[in-house]
Amino acid sequence: MIHPALFYSFSALTLLGALGAVAARHPMRAVLSLTVSLFGLSGLFVGLGAHFVAVIQILLYAGAILILFLFVVMLVESPETERMNIRNIWVKLLGIGFGAVLLRILWRVIGAGGEPPIAPHAVEGTVEAVGRELLTTYALPFEAASILLLVGIVGAIVLAKRKVT
Amino acid sequence: MNPGFVIPTGWSALLPELALTGLIGLILIGDVLLKEEAGKILSGIAVAGLAAVGFLVAAQWDQPARTVLAGMFRMDMLAVFFKGIFTIAALTTVLIARQTPALIRRGLGEFYLLILTATLGMFLTASAGNLLMLFVALEMITISFYVMVSYHQEERSLEAGLKYLVLGSIASGLFLYGLAFLFGTTGTADLTEMAAVIQGGLTESPMLVLGLFLVLSSILFKSACVPFQLWAPDVYQGAPTPAVAFLSVGSKAAGFVVALRLLIELLLPLGGVWIPVVVFLSGATILAGNLGAIPQSNIKRLFGYSTIGHGGYLLIGIAAGSFLGTQAILFYLAAYAFTNLAAFLVITAFSKTTGSDEIRDYAGLSRRSPFLAAMFFLALLSLAGVPPLAGFFGKFLLILSAVDAGHGVLAGIGAIAVVISLYYYLMIVKTMYADEPADPSPVPVPTTLRIMLWICAAGMLGLGLIQKPLVNWAAAAAQTLF
Repeated sequence: MIHPALFYSFSALTLLGALGAVAARHPMRAVLSLTVSLFGLSGLFVGLGAHFVAVIQILLYAGAILILFLFVVMLVESPETERMNIRNIWVKLLGIGFGAVLLRILWRVIGAGGEPPIAPHAVEGTVEAVGRELLTTYALPFEAASILLLVGIVGAIVLAKRKVT
Repeated sequence: MNPGFVIPTGWSALLPELALTGLIGLILIGDVLLKEEAGKILSGIAVAGLAAVGFLVAAQWDQPARTVLAGMFRMDMLAVFFKGIFTIAALTTVLIARQTPALIRRGLGEFYLLILTATLGMFLTASAGNLLMLFVALEMITISFYVMVSYHQEERSLEAGLKYLVLGSIASGLFLYGLAFLFGTTGTADLTEMAAVIQGGLTESPMLVLGLFLVLSSILFKSACVPFQLWAPDVYQGAPTPAVAFLSVGSKAAGFVVALRLLIELLLPLGGVWIPVVVFLSGATILAGNLGAIPQSNIKRLFGYSTIGHGGYLLIGIAAGSFLGTQAILFYLAAYAFTNLAAFLVITAFSKTTGSDEIRDYAGLSRRSPFLAAMFFLALLSLAGVPPLAGFFGKFLLILSAVDAGHGVLAGIGAIAVVISLYYYLMIVKTMYADEPADPSPVPVPTTLRIMLWICAAGMLGLGLIQKPLVNWAAAAAQTLF
């Protein structure tokens, strides 16, 4: 069980990072804020005993995917993309409205009772345990995910292929 | 310390899926090896393979329901029924793709591959026994469609693809968020175990309700229903015709199999919470689709609105929350498959020769190709719901289920919308039969399309006149949920 002080600091890191990613006007800052958020999330995973997921979170998300984001931001950067400013006030209001409704519902959910009705199974988050589960219980979704990746690769190639005339 | 390494068993229940996966591999390798004439040979392989998959699916009909692979995969009549629809849609889409010049220019091999991976995703969606499996399967469908929609790489096609991608990603996020709440409340991701926990009296949990509404939003997106319907017209107009045909029949059916599995099978004890919402959304969707279709001048855009309307009708069956409603949905989907595919076959044949999707260019089609005009006439009447065609009986069953469930107003809206839809469908018929053609040259129909059109016409008329077999099959499949 994670110490409450650690839990709250990691949660604060996650939330502030996410907030920064949404509020930042410069795409580069948004991506970097997202990195902070993902680090906080990874800390929370450690607290849950999901060590493997925590490491993968940092390796894959912070390490690979966000780097890719940064590359894209740097490569396509132009004066227009520099500032992601939603000018339409109605769009802003709509977003805030939806957020408020969701927050209100979540508030009720949290207020309804501390413990979840059924405690999830205690999981052992080691590489061995995750690997074992992936190749036994979750064999089918695991295999399906490989087809999913194939679709992603083929799709990316098809769309990136030079225009045929 | 070391629990036994249990290898999951029961792969034999996955025979159609395994065959489909093999076919995907064959197309992938074939596309690399065959350079010249690859399109023709590959489409032959795809059609033959899909026919074989169809036989394997049919062979599973009437087999006892099984749950295999640690609860990940369920083979039951409902899944088999849907897989039948998916196979027909995929087969027709392959044939349509072969007749679409813009696609041929860009290479057909990858397009066939994407059709097949989307089909595999649909198969797994229908059979998913676990939330994790369901999510992976749905993503397989959506990601295949993202690429198919933007395949043309023209401005419109890319715009459609981008819209679908952005909105689809939001819907996937909502779905995953909802699944997390369902998992958190029930403590299990297995659908059978979850149903038991929920029936054990979890109906009051607000967390479950939140999960329910998040999942519902995502289902509404997939099946293009209010308030997540806005993408449909743009995507339908911009995407390649085969992608649209598959989207309108396959993806829509996939959305409704998820709705049946999650809302009816799993969350019916919470019906008091979601049924009023779905009743309202169903009525709103029917009106939004049918009223939006009236001013359209592009045939594919018109079908984008009409498909919203049909999604609304299908929601009636979900709102009924009953055996009758489920049976009606199944009948409607099968009838809709034949009808809508027929319409898209005509659109394909027409645009292959004329290169146009504008309704005004359909003027005088009855003189340029009496066969196409007659087939389109039949499909439009069936879509509107005119007896004795299949579409009529489907709408009839759905409205009946609404009355039976006590949703009189919804049944009324459904009946009124038939009249609205007749207006814009018959406007097309008027253009085809009464108006003078600008260019009187005949429109040839390729043999494969002609054969498929005859099959669809037989389906529309046959299911409309002799409804009993399909009604019985739908009942057997619906029985799975009750």
